[in-house]
Amino acid sequence: MIQLHNISKLYDKNIKALDNISLSFKEGELVILKGVSGSGKSTILSLIAGLCKPTQGEVIVDGKKISKLPDHFAAAYRRDHIGIVFQRYNLISSLSVEENVLLPLFPLNLTRSVMQERANRVLEKFHIAHKQALIVKNLSGGEQQRVAIARANINDPKIILADEPTANLDEKLSREFIAILKELKSQKRTIVVATHDPLFFDLDFVDRTIEIEHGKLL
Amino acid sequence: MNKINFYLLEYAYGYIVRHKNKNIFIVTVFTLLVALLCTLFFITTSVSFELQKRIANEPDIVVQNYQAGMPTASTNAMLDKLLEIDGISGGNLRVAGKYYFRKENTYFNLVGIDPFEELSNKFLQNIVDTTDINSSCMLVSKDVLSIMKKAYYSNYFNFVKADGTLVKVPIAGSFSTEDKHYLDKTILMPKELLRKIFAYKSNEGSDIALRIANKNELDFLTTKIRLLFPNAKVISKDDSVLLYKNLFNYDSGVFLALFTIALFTFFIIIYDKANGLSSEEKREIGILKAIGWRVEDVLHAKFYEAALIAFFSFIMGFILAYIFVFILKAPFLGNIFMHENLLNIATFSLNVHIEFSYVLLIFLLSVPLYIAATLIPSWRVATMDADEVMR
Repeated sequence: MIQLHNISKLYDKNIKALDNISLSFKEGELVILKGVSGSGKSTILSLIAGLCKPTQGEVIVDGKKISKLPDHFAAAYRRDHIGIVFQRYNLISSLSVEENVLLPLFPLNLTRSVMQERANRVLEKFHIAHKQALIVKNLSGGEQQRVAIARANINDPKIILADEPTANLDEKLSREFIAILKELKSQKRTIVVATHDPLFFDLDFVDRTIEIEHGKLL
Repeated sequence: MNKINFYLLEYAYGYIVRHKNKNIFIVTVFTLLVALLCTLFFITTSVSFELQKRIANEPDIVVQNYQAGMPTASTNAMLDKLLEIDGISGGNLRVAGKYYFRKENTYFNLVGIDPFEELSNKFLQNIVDTTDINSSCMLVSKDVLSIMKKAYYSNYFNFVKADGTLVKVPIAGSFSTEDKHYLDKTILMPKELLRKIFAYKSNEGSDIALRIANKNELDFLTTKIRLLFPNAKVISKDDSVLLYKNLFNYDSGVFLALFTIALFTFFIIIYDKANGLSSEEKREIGILKAIGWRVEDVLHAKFYEAALIAFFSFIMGFILAYIFVFILKAPFLGNIFMHENLLNIATFSLNVHIEFSYVLLIFLLSVPLYIAATLIPSWRVATMDADEVMR
């Protein structure tokens, strides 16, 4: 489903984040990308999401060359197929929970009832419906992460990408996140998690763990 | 962008509210600048309109007699000679002038009337035609009446002659100058009575107003009169236009300076805004792109945001200027045009007359510029990789 062919990525023309790696992910697979900070895990997620383009090589998702997509189509691809949970959640802190969750749908100009129905569905699914009117900055870290997960799932994406999802959570909340991950896996989503949290390494529902160091696969 | 996306509009409004301190500042400055620019244009347009109305009532040629370089009385004999010139279709010896009322520190415009002569000002002529006035009374404009009443003259007024004696003139009635404010403080009275006040002989007047048959001969006839009366001052309608225009241009120069300052300040704001976004603003655009917003979605929302601020500020500025100029009569700024007490030349009043091409000019100088200044840096950030922006 997701293929990365001979990918290299340079930042600022000389900082090598990835060095000629090739990877593939099957549909419904849950893969852990393991490695220390700066190893290139997040860059792989960004490339899959079309948030950046490789310096060399190509990214193919469902037969489409994502790395060659013009910005217009890359955005539509992200909106329709990708759900991203960022390390710092990347929520808009002064908006409410509901507004943050619905944000990806705003450009679609759907009817109010459809928007409300979708918001209710994800908010309830990720147990944050009772906080929907609250401003995000007033929530705890765990709650903010639930909002981020709800937002990532508002479009029922086939691919979920999570970048250091438990970096800012305590163990209890991290285990809650893992439970959510298991549920998403059961829904046949393709999930790629970039993390160096040991909690993820011995999970029985994880299909593969890939280790990265200095931009290369080990 | 052919359909209003209310979610993006709400998002834009929310963005403005979330950054309220910054946006209140921008709205305030924007509103004040638009208000200032509108004020300048409202005043100049209104005065220009008044000027045109005033010029329309000027006679084709006015001849003032001078002796030893000093203005002196014109005479019937001069008028007769002037009427002999081919091309001059009519004329009259006018008796008119300013009368300074020291107690109230103001000037009255005294205009002499004659039942057998037509006044060049049609509005005044109509008042004369429809009012019964006898040889010893006067008609005063409403504002004159109120000034006189303040000085306890309700039924009559004592004019002081040059020799210090008084001429008591009863008030026969008053008239409203309506929107013709350049006729404010006007007193109409029979010529003979006015001659007494100004100490003119029965065959004398203040100047001679002439009408000509062919407007193309104005210069030629003016030159001819100058040759006939080398000591006289001959003022053609074109000269009057030039006089008012010079005066008006001088005033406009002051306004031009204000206009330049206002524009300069506005462009500084535009320049500052166009120069970039804060890291928080950049990050927000990065997040929007990461969750699937296209560049045009970001720009769509930013357009709404800028348009809301710009249109709101523009409308507020327009309303403020309207209230300031046409309701409050432009205190402080309007005084630039109030020459009456200073120069004793002309008084301009601010009647509602809006030149919408100027309003459009202000709109085009402000609203699209502000919107562009908001969109350009947002576009720069939105076209970068979302990954790079969030880093």
